[in-house]
Amino acid sequence: MSMVQPLQTQALPRRAARLRGRILPYLLSLPALLVCIAILVPFVTAAIYSLQRYRLNLPYLRGFIGVDNYIDFLSDPAFWNTLRISLVYTALTVVLELLLGLGIAMLLRRPTRFHNAVSIVLLLPLMTAPAIAALMWKLMTNPSFGILSYLVSLFGAHDFKWASDPSTALFTVVLVDVWVYTPFIMILLLAGLRSLPRQPFEAAALDGVPASFVFFRITLPMLAPYIVTASLFRLLDSIQQFDIVYAMTQGGPGDRLMVFQVQAYLEFFQYTNVGRSAALLMILWLITNILSNIFIKNWLRLRARAHGHA
Amino acid sequence: MARLELNSIGKGFGPVRCAEDLSLTVESGEIVAVFGPSGSGKTVLLRMIAGMFEPDDGDIMVGGQSIVGAPPERRGIGMAFQNFALFPHMTAQDNIASGLRAKAGARELASRVTSISRLLKIEHVLGHMPRELSNGQKQRTALARALIGNPEVLLLDDPLRNVDAKLRYEMRLELPNLLRRSSAAVLYVTQDYREAMAIADRIAVLIDGRLAQVARPEEVYARPASVAVARLFGDPSINLVEVVPATDQGCLMCEIVGARIRLGSFHDQAADQGPCWLGVRPDDLAVVRSASEDAIPARVVAVTPMHERAVLLLRFPDGTEWLAALPPDSPMASADDGVFVRFAPEAALLFDRATGLRVDVPHRRQAA
Amino acid sequence: MDHSSLASRVFRRIALALVLVFFMFPIVWIFLMSFQTNEQILRIPPRILFEPTLANYEALISGHLRTTAGNLEISFMRNLMNSFVLSSAAVLLALLLGVPAAYAFARFKFRLGETIAFTLLSFRFAPPLLVLLPLSLYYQQLGLNDTYFGIVWVYQLIALPLILWIVRGYFEDISPDIEHAYRLAGHSWREAFTRIAVPLAGPGIAAAGLLSFIFCWNNFVFALILASADKQPVTVGALAFVTASGIQYGQIAAAIVLSVTPTLLLALYAQRYLVEGLSLGAVKG
Repeated sequence: MSMVQPLQTQALPRRAARLRGRILPYLLSLPALLVCIAILVPFVTAAIYSLQRYRLNLPYLRGFIGVDNYIDFLSDPAFWNTLRISLVYTALTVVLELLLGLGIAMLLRRPTRFHNAVSIVLLLPLMTAPAIAALMWKLMTNPSFGILSYLVSLFGAHDFKWASDPSTALFTVVLVDVWVYTPFIMILLLAGLRSLPRQPFEAAALDGVPASFVFFRITLPMLAPYIVTASLFRLLDSIQQFDIVYAMTQGGPGDRLMVFQVQAYLEFFQYTNVGRSAALLMILWLITNILSNIFIKNWLRLRARAHGHA
Repeated sequence: MARLELNSIGKGFGPVRCAEDLSLTVESGEIVAVFGPSGSGKTVLLRMIAGMFEPDDGDIMVGGQSIVGAPPERRGIGMAFQNFALFPHMTAQDNIASGLRAKAGARELASRVTSISRLLKIEHVLGHMPRELSNGQKQRTALARALIGNPEVLLLDDPLRNVDAKLRYEMRLELPNLLRRSSAAVLYVTQDYREAMAIADRIAVLIDGRLAQVARPEEVYARPASVAVARLFGDPSINLVEVVPATDQGCLMCEIVGARIRLGSFHDQAADQGPCWLGVRPDDLAVVRSASEDAIPARVVAVTPMHERAVLLLRFPDGTEWLAALPPDSPMASADDGVFVRFAPEAALLFDRATGLRVDVPHRRQAA
Repeated sequence: MDHSSLASRVFRRIALALVLVFFMFPIVWIFLMSFQTNEQILRIPPRILFEPTLANYEALISGHLRTTAGNLEISFMRNLMNSFVLSSAAVLLALLLGVPAAYAFARFKFRLGETIAFTLLSFRFAPPLLVLLPLSLYYQQLGLNDTYFGIVWVYQLIALPLILWIVRGYFEDISPDIEHAYRLAGHSWREAFTRIAVPLAGPGIAAAGLLSFIFCWNNFVFALILASADKQPVTVGALAFVTASGIQYGQIAAAIVLSVTPTLLLALYAQRYLVEGLSLGAVKG
């Protein structure tokens, strides 16, 4: 047993192997890192813009103004309108989609061939581009030939103007959002429902427990992680909704639907006020960040569990 | 062919040490079983040799050349995994053929695959995908894949763990012959002491990342290096009791709940050992009806059949519980009987209570 | 479950029928509309039975649109082609970049990997305009504005996180022993990666690729900001199309049908992976 190997020859390949093993993962993830940088650089830039007076049409006025952009918002009714409308839009869509999605998932719970076919067909709205979906509904609510306008006129609502009337615009856009995104919640909850263990339900059935009790005391609590995940996914997307609102009304009528991203888009392109636009988006980012921090923790737990069982 | 040498291997994951000063030599054509309880570092050891981890200290040599730092594909090692690790998207044939690292010609490859699969009796399933194979066939396919390249070192990671009892028994008989054909240095990891004893030329007992004993199977069984090793070999496991041996009229004596037992065959030098563990295997106990000075009184608590024997759970008056394994033809005792327990002096093993090492033989680390 | 009363079964049937009508009606209606002439569309009350015409599609495909305001040349087919080119290129690039990275994240536990994975994940939930608006200014300086490459690059923000997180889960499900076994048989890690890991994660890679394709195709805001008319995909093109004056409604409907058909077909084809993909692997379907 020759222990008198020279130290050098032993240490070198070992060090080389360690180095190789350590570099490899970094090499592999280099492209992903580049994409990260491509996200982070504009993000930091946006943060800096938000602290500047920066208008594209008045470049010579550009300068650092601290948090003035943010302070201006406090006294700006347009900002409060944006905040309010975004929150109302989010609350309405998430609650409606959650209730509807849960209801449909309960209807389709048993994995029969018919139910599976229905659940697949219901995916189609979700796979439609939201901007295009808005156009579809725009055609259907057209005052002169829209089928929906015709249908409500049968019930006496001859002057129902859908998205072009300030009093019904929010309702119309929420309707489109519900049409597109309810299937998302439905399909997640359906997967959740079907993965629940059967024993509690069988035991409840044997004991003759009423259906409402089973639903509220067994189904809902066991489904809670899925409900939290699905609704937080939607919450984060909904508060940033742009496509549907922009394609439908461009934030109008008036400022009725000026949700965050639409407002920021117009600030940037219409009023060329980069600083204000960036500040608006930073506030939105802050809101989503707080939400997504809660969300990611929850989601990772669920994902870890799903993979643990896999 | 080449021998495998491990020179004082050390490996830790954070604060956990999985291997400490591990030295072992496996000659070409020799089968060494690495045996130890789960978590003792067997799998990590194999993985260091295979190149999935590198050791922190020490060196691994094949044929006198260090393989530390070499990528797995250049180590000349064949390995069969506990979970088979077959490629699920390839047929059994392709699985086996992938193990032929020398890019053999198509005809030679085919003939090698045919001959090895005939040897392992899996010719008829070569076209099957792994998911269509039984566990036994999977295991043979994995073995064929490890063997086909004529590796210098063959690592088998508990290959019989996931196959049924009948097949495991057959393979215990077949494997030694099969492995010896290849003249590779074989390291065979197992958690089953019977398997280790049936298959290996020598057994390396691994406990907490250290080699507690490396010796021929009979020797590990008959002369375990320490109380920990003695506990691992035997089912039911060895009976232990605390004793303080003393020399009396040239004989080494000890007392167990009133019975004066002569351990006469031991050398006198053991008399100065102080407190010891006395160990007797359940197979070496005799259960009798009549009292004598060297018989321990006991009460039968329960009788269970185990393998072909009857196992008696005995309780001594001081509460100590021992197991006795009796041949089926011995007169049966039943629960609650009062009996007496005896054993031959040669059957008793003494271990120092402080160090756990066996007393009568000065402990020496196994030389390569 | 079968003990449910007749009333509850009837209720379920009706509820399900209503659900189907609500979610399917718009698609069916627009589909029907795309085969109607303007006169048929404007008729009140609307009729279900009509004599279908392919004129709307013919006009779109030829690019010559006869409208009340005269003849218009609108190359909607170019938008369609742009969507194909941009989405396919983006997905190919994302697979090329993302699959090795997903493998690294799954096999090696290293801090940078976790950081990258989480940065991408958290920006999946950040407002896209926050990144896009400054990026459009950078693009102007770099000359990437209104280039296919520039758009394909920002599409990585959609496709890459999706691919990373889904494919990573699939790689994690492959026992490392299988790869070790292949390497011990004399193959380099690169061969083990391409011949063992990638084929075994194949379904996940396919699912992630299909989903990324759908999401890139459906994206609206990225191209709205970064692309001019001749590089625009259908989502932006269709909106411009609607606002162009005097376009016939049947033609709009036909344009909508053409824009959604590819993704809907893909979705039907890939439906069994959708649950996993939509939840980034959080819920295994």
